[in-house]
Amino acid sequence: MNPTLAYQFNRFLRGSVPFALACLMALLGVVPTGISGFGIITPSLLTIAVFYWSIHRPYLMGAPLCFLLGVLSDFLTGAPLGLTSLLLLVVHGVTLSQRRIFIGKSFILSWFGYALIALLAALVGWLLSSLYSLAVLPFLPVMLQYALSLLVFPLFAFGFGILQNNLLRLT
Amino acid sequence: MAPRQGNVFKLAWPLKTIIQRSAFLALVSLAVGLLFLGKANIAAVDRLRMATTDFLAPVLTTISEPVSAFHRAVARVQSLTRLIEENERLREENARLLKWQAAGRALEQENENFRQLLNALSDPLVLPITARVIGDSGGPFVRTLLLNAGQRDGVRVGQAVVAPLGLIGRIAEVGDRSARVLLITDINSRIPVVLEKSRQKGILVGDNSTLPLLEFLPTTSTVAPGDRLVTSGDGGMLPAGRPIGFVSSVGERDIRVQGYADWNRLEYVSILRYDLPGMSGPEDNPGDLGESRLGESRLDAQ
Repeated sequence: MNPTLAYQFNRFLRGSVPFALACLMALLGVVPTGISGFGIITPSLLTIAVFYWSIHRPYLMGAPLCFLLGVLSDFLTGAPLGLTSLLLLVVHGVTLSQRRIFIGKSFILSWFGYALIALLAALVGWLLSSLYSLAVLPFLPVMLQYALSLLVFPLFAFGFGILQNNLLRLT
Repeated sequence: MAPRQGNVFKLAWPLKTIIQRSAFLALVSLAVGLLFLGKANIAAVDRLRMATTDFLAPVLTTISEPVSAFHRAVARVQSLTRLIEENERLREENARLLKWQAAGRALEQENENFRQLLNALSDPLVLPITARVIGDSGGPFVRTLLLNAGQRDGVRVGQAVVAPLGLIGRIAEVGDRSARVLLITDINSRIPVVLEKSRQKGILVGDNSTLPLLEFLPTTSTVAPGDRLVTSGDGGMLPAGRPIGFVSSVGERDIRVQGYADWNRLEYVSILRYDLPGMSGPEDNPGDLGESRLGESRLDAQ
């Protein structure tokens, strides 16, 4: 029994929501907010999105999509091309390999998991960009971004959770 | 995972994992490859980057509009609460500034007279293009801004970008309708500067922190916190005498500079079209209004 075209299209649209939302987050990440103190460093929303969907819907946030998100983000922020792609792939790969630990467990555990994986990504990012510019970059902004991302993680995880339970129940 | 899938799919499952694994590794190596390509400054990569930002610039402009409107509303409410104090303060400041204006006019006239006496060459006219900030890199690895003006508006690579309070950076990449500013705090930024009082020259070097470094000063120079810095105009790329910031700390090994610009509230900035005669061709730096779309609209209005 083949599902109807309309059903398949519906499924495709619903399934593309995580990626579309992540693209929007990449755009929002560069919009100047004007909030004092926030303009210089913004939390890395993309790592949150990739981490969350890699646990709960890995087939909707595959490695190629992570790569594309990274390229988009690098184009927008002016970071070395490939850097964010690499970081998102690291987040995706590590999360996917540890998926069993997180799935169906309490929220605190996935927050803790995000803390570890995002720290790894931040360190790799700092190391790579220091190598890229052949200078030791200041470490504080990296840690600041990490701390900010960690703080906003529950908010986004909550939002994604609502989305997953309503829009993506069938996919 | 997915409940209704055929037998073929079940058989293909291990194959799919293998393909996925190798695709992952291929993508990781592709990302590393892109990093190397970017380091090699391939022109095609730059073009692709600017084409993407050009394509997304209208989207960013649209998104940033309500965000800045919201921010303005918040600022307005905040200012309402302290209207009286603000008024008082502004009145005092206005009185003080009027005195400065009188002094400034007198000095400008005097300067002009001396220039004429000495038959000195005056600096070429600087024409600003004002553009909106539509993007802010926000990451820890680069310090750049996106503007909604580009090649067709007369923006060229290398032009200086100033905020109301002082220089913030230079144009690093330019697309058709968007441009990227390399801020003075970015690790790749080098700006020739001069200490306003002692007239000693140095280079302002960014390191991705909020306070750039002042380097290559003469060894005999004396610097104290609070000394003001202006652009020196060396190299002929930036107009001379534009304010940048002041020395915030003098350490054993490094001198840190605090910029005048308010990094959190950059809404509109001006790009300075500066053209030293004979130093740059018209395609590098169109010094007259005729070249740009902005100029056309301005001429039409007259």
